Amino acid sequence: MTGGTPSTDGLPARSRGVIALLEENCTVCMLCARECPDWCIYIESHQEPVPGTEYGAGDPARAPAGRGRQRVRNVLDRFAIDFSLCMYCGICVEVCPYDALFWSPEFSYAETDIAALTHEQGRLREWMWTVPPPPRPEEGAPPPGEARGQVP
Amino acid sequence: MTPEEIIAAVGGGLPPEVRCETDHRGVMLRVPPGHWLAALAFARDRLDCDFFDWLTAVDEADEGFSVVVHVYSLAGRHHVLVATPLPRSSPRLPTATGIYRGAAWHERETHEMFGIGFDGHPRLAPLLLPDGFEGHPLRKDFVLAARAAKEWPGVKEPGERPVPRAERPPPGAERPVPRARRRGPPHVPDGWGPA
Repeated sequence: MTGGTPSTDGLPARSRGVIALLEENCTVCMLCARECPDWCIYIESHQEPVPGTEYGAGDPARAPAGRGRQRVRNVLDRFAIDFSLCMYCGICVEVCPYDALFWSPEFSYAETDIAALTHEQGRLREWMWTVPPPPRPEEGAPPPGEARGQVP
Repeated sequence: MTPEEIIAAVGGGLPPEVRCETDHRGVMLRVPPGHWLAALAFARDRLDCDFFDWLTAVDEADEGFSVVVHVYSLAGRHHVLVATPLPRSSPRLPTATGIYRGAAWHERETHEMFGIGFDGHPRLAPLLLPDGFEGHPLRKDFVLAARAAKEWPGVKEPGERPVPRAERPPPGAERPVPRARRRGPPHVPDGWGPA
């Protein structure tokens, strides 16, 4: 490297530097881990009861029926991407139905220890701050469905 | 040359079995294997495609293989794809090294990755795979043995706690509560992978 610290300046927004995780959006649906051709996404999770959905909670009419069921939600315990295996195909980003995975153009994360290329949840979340806003639609492109009121 | 000029030239210089297809990527010449070398020589001499870019194959499953060559004209800045179909059993082609010398490495790679023979090649030795490697890794029926050694990260259900190996029931044991059918890793035949 002769030009000093490499920069992401001027890289297009579609650049595939690193994958960022918006963990608030992750529902632990496992789709990314199952679609990944390299098996490089590790997810661990558990289920917790949703407060206020206990048997008959807040709704006496439901309790006598006897078939109320505690609702549970998935809680993410670990989300890691092993960038030593990742081939940067972007299938996980494409397949995520909840907009939890994003491409960031940042590329400067070389390591001397291969194990350090496994980025855990906190590090993946930090990459979110480097995700650029999506590019504006091309001139003359139809507005997105949400703007046209076609998507509920 | 524009795609139209290429098609016009092909119509006047190659037998009628050669089909010309155009799309947004340019012109593709589909030739029977018997006209393979004639089509490559035509691309080099008549279409002025003097730059050999690459040669590879495509596993078309039941339809056998396609061998594809991409060549380019440095002067005219146009390019052509030439493809020929091969049967799945004993796929062979005459070598293109007599027309494009740079095809030698590409044919060695295609030979080891797809098991396609190139008759007349000066030295069809493995290029990338280690000595003693068995099989042709880019064929679609090639099983990735690494997937038998590693546990599939997607086997877990949403919200499922990881079960340490020591606490797992032995293979074949009845689960206390029958569960929905567990998902297996994609593209791995039954019987492969950790129990």
